[in-house]
Amino acid sequence: MAENQSGDMDRKNPNDAVEAARKAFEQEFERFAAFAGDGSPLTGLNLDQAEAEHRALAELRTKHLGKKSALAASKKAIGRVSADDRAAFGQLVQRTEAAIGESLEQAEETLRTAIQVARTERERIDVTIPGRRPRRGHLHPITIVRQRIEDIFFGLGYAIEDGREIETDFYNFEALNIPETHPARGVQDTFYTTEGFALRSQTSTVQIHAMQRRGAPLRMIAPGRVFRRDTPDPTHNPMFFQVEGLCVDRGISMAHLKGTVAEFLRRMFGPATTTRFRPSYFPFTEPSAEFDFSCFKCGGAGCRICKNSGWIELGGSGMVHPNVLRAAGVDPEVYSGFAFGLGIDRMCALMYGLDDIRLLFENDVRFLEQFD
Amino acid sequence: MLISYNWLRELTDTGLTPTELREQLTMVGLAIDAVEEIEGDSVLDVEVPSNRPDCLSHTGIAREVAVIEKSKVQSPKSEVVKTQGKAADLAEVEILDSDLCPRYAARVVRGVKIGPSPAWLAKRLGEIGQRPINNVADITNYVLHEIGQPLHAFDLAKLAERRIVVRRAQAGEKLKTLDGVERVLDTEMLVIADAEQPTALAGIMGGLDSEISESTTDVLIESAYFNPDSVRRTARKLGMDTEASRRFERGADCENVLNAQARCVELICQIAGGVATEDAIDVYPVPSPALRVDFRPARVETLTSVRVDESEMFRILTALGFTRIDGNGGVLSFVVPSWRVDVSVEEDLVEEIARHIGYDKIASELPPSSMSGEYQPTETSRRALRNALKDLGFDEAINFSFIDAAHDGLFQLVPRLTGDSTQDGLVTLNNPILEGAIRMRPTLLPGLLESVRHNLNHGTRDVSLYEIGRVFAESEPDNDSSQLPNERAALALIALGGATEAGHAQAKRELDFYDLKGALEAAIDAMNLGPLTFTKAEVKHLREGQAAQIALPDGTAIGTIGRLSESIASSYKFRQPVYLAELDLTTLLDSQVREIRYKPLPRYPAVVRDVTLLVGRDVAFAELVAAADSERVADYAGAKLVGTYEGENIPEGKRSVTLRIEYRSHEGTLRDEAVEERHRALVNSLVQQFDAEIH
Ligand SMILES: [Zn+2]
Repeated sequence: MAENQSGDMDRKNPNDAVEAARKAFEQEFERFAAFAGDGSPLTGLNLDQAEAEHRALAELRTKHLGKKSALAASKKAIGRVSADDRAAFGQLVQRTEAAIGESLEQAEETLRTAIQVARTERERIDVTIPGRRPRRGHLHPITIVRQRIEDIFFGLGYAIEDGREIETDFYNFEALNIPETHPARGVQDTFYTTEGFALRSQTSTVQIHAMQRRGAPLRMIAPGRVFRRDTPDPTHNPMFFQVEGLCVDRGISMAHLKGTVAEFLRRMFGPATTTRFRPSYFPFTEPSAEFDFSCFKCGGAGCRICKNSGWIELGGSGMVHPNVLRAAGVDPEVYSGFAFGLGIDRMCALMYGLDDIRLLFENDVRFLEQFD
Repeated sequence: MLISYNWLRELTDTGLTPTELREQLTMVGLAIDAVEEIEGDSVLDVEVPSNRPDCLSHTGIAREVAVIEKSKVQSPKSEVVKTQGKAADLAEVEILDSDLCPRYAARVVRGVKIGPSPAWLAKRLGEIGQRPINNVADITNYVLHEIGQPLHAFDLAKLAERRIVVRRAQAGEKLKTLDGVERVLDTEMLVIADAEQPTALAGIMGGLDSEISESTTDVLIESAYFNPDSVRRTARKLGMDTEASRRFERGADCENVLNAQARCVELICQIAGGVATEDAIDVYPVPSPALRVDFRPARVETLTSVRVDESEMFRILTALGFTRIDGNGGVLSFVVPSWRVDVSVEEDLVEEIARHIGYDKIASELPPSSMSGEYQPTETSRRALRNALKDLGFDEAINFSFIDAAHDGLFQLVPRLTGDSTQDGLVTLNNPILEGAIRMRPTLLPGLLESVRHNLNHGTRDVSLYEIGRVFAESEPDNDSSQLPNERAALALIALGGATEAGHAQAKRELDFYDLKGALEAAIDAMNLGPLTFTKAEVKHLREGQAAQIALPDGTAIGTIGRLSESIASSYKFRQPVYLAELDLTTLLDSQVREIRYKPLPRYPAVVRDVTLLVGRDVAFAELVAAADSERVADYAGAKLVGTYEGENIPEGKRSVTLRIEYRSHEGTLRDEAVEERHRALVNSLVQQFDAEIH
């Protein structure tokens, strides 16, 4: 075909050849001409059709502006145009080339935009469908509360300790100044193994071990599992979790006990929390105190959670009984200390509004899913 | 304990309203649970601490109120009692076991008329929850609540030979108590007997036979002190809890015996008529000495940080009944009143002062900071473990530490817990409280299986749970018998149902062994421990062919993983496959943390070659990789699994395993021929070792 064209070139006026090329293009471009306008003919063209038209345009470009096009052949023939006409011929070729190029460009541009729009439409997604991820698991509420307590006391300079869950009578009772005749030591209240060991009924056992091992001064808390022979009901379980704290040093007083418990409760329940201490009785502390904190729900005005008193009972505390210090090898004339204890399960119940703590050990997924 | 406000006002003319009393008593350690209005009176429900039996009466509470108000307790007004004759002429008292009964006093009132109590008495008892019976019984009860001393009235005529013998019961002796129950006694129990048989359970309850009845005319009023432990043991053993036992077992006031008895006799004469004896038979062979406690006033500030005037300290202690003694060299001490059985050391006196000064007067401050916090050594790992399992979709479970003996022998226990899982090696509770739950769990698995059952029963079918907790077994037998049991931390996982996606209704596929294994591996990775190795194994509670033993890199076995055995699954009625794993967490957390060391980045690209081997189904992937690793082919850089296939076109008993082998040189880019040569050598070796075909 190229040969044919150049053959024609020999015989004909080169200007005619350019004109012929233009006409040939316009004829073939006719059906695309509308695209070069406002693009309205595109309506009704789907993505696949638009892409096909775009390909056809690309072919048209190759055919009419490519290396092997009639126009390219005409350009090569410029040498045979007389010197006088050469400039005019050159301009004609350029003009024609530019005109074809512009037509193509306009049509292509319109189509490209149309394709872009159609593709965007096709690839539109529903952004509200849930993201792709495995179902997340959950920490047990007791773990959540325990970790928070540990973090707070870590920040207050306390060591976190743990010890055995099955203990000797000495560590579970004797060292804690609980006399042999105390009801807590009875088989009604405390679990015993057939070998005569006790399931620890408080984590104070850990305090004795820690004092013996670390000596004074000492600051520690012992969170952990403890056991008491209670039949399960909405407010009791035969197994529960508690945390006991101990601070022994020279010059430790009840003011430090109050300050520490109050600070802990503020960090746990918010800066507005106030704490109240009442005299009480525990064999391992003297003087002893129970502590209440201002109801986090009603702020002290009275509600169902605080039984309308404005206060929530939380734990026991006091100055470590000299007998306990002595049992752990610490001289009560040199050192003094305070101790406190509270139930983690009870904190859970308060914080999350649990009305039946038996749920804590049923491991119902519908329950566990609600935390963390 | 219930306290009548009006009654209290007779004893100490308090200016405090019931609401104020509630607040003030709470702040001295007598918490008031509730205040109830009853017909012109208020009844306070006082929570008396177990070490304060002296507060188990209106007088006891009045004593505290008087200290609060700086007033006095007015003992009940007494009318002159008409008396006649000596008690010893009418009755006889003998204490055979004075260790259990240091003091026993008996006084007689003759010619009483038994009948209903007057309205004021019945009303007063009713207000504090006591059921009126007859005038004499009600008076003993009234005095108990007024003064705190339990009393008992016998029908004198019904005491054989009019004798009181305080002795231990004989084995098998019987007594029908006032509640109509026939009690079989043992030699640990103290009774009040007459000349022939027991007539009362000392300090707990009277006998039916010597009960006051309408025909009674002469009564013997018992006022005594019984050993607290003896009363407690007997009451527990017989499952009894009475107004009397509650006071005796905490400690009654040995010096108040005669006073309370006089008050009782006085009221009987007033209300039921009759003539009292001039005196009482008071058997009190060894009077208990008063306790003296040394006191250094400075200790108050040391322990409480509050500076209290010594005069105020002494006022409080004196008002509470303590007597000051100034010893030689300025040593100060206080005599403890007989009713304060809770006070024995200096700190007790400090508490008395502190609670009456008010705990609210004590400052609130943090101790000077001197130490840095310290988590438990394994806490970082444990948190990483929990967080990883959380991200992997596992919910954390907590089960009771005691399980049913029905699980004995069904599970393979974690290594190093015990050699055998039979009954002998397990820790058993002497006094379980949950039916059947007598074993301290040697494995976490029964608890998790129970949790799974609970969830399935409640319609949750996709369950992934884990638990971290202690497991227990007897310690090694070569140690002596006083050895505490072995306690180890364990980690157990259980998974069944679908691989659920958050927010989607339906699981895309069912979980299988590799989900659980992957979760475990990821969790171990998160702790920077392992990698674990898994070897096929026979495990008691796992299904054959889907069970593995888990070991640490150094070969230490630490647990098992696999699919629950058919027999256990069917006993739980589980129809779907259940996968579970259990590990010795103590050993795992003690194991070597993976060291992180930088390796230079490769400078030349790697070349990979895949090979598909047809091998016996019993050839494990890990064996193939181990063999490839140990071949030491030049430039070998590792083998990975592409996939396995069995089924169509694969002969029975065989499967195809496709491995991707990577080759890499540090000297330059490997040429194809070189790779080809190395790969052929490796593949040939694998073919020979595993009797494989290239597929
Ligand atoms: Zn409230």
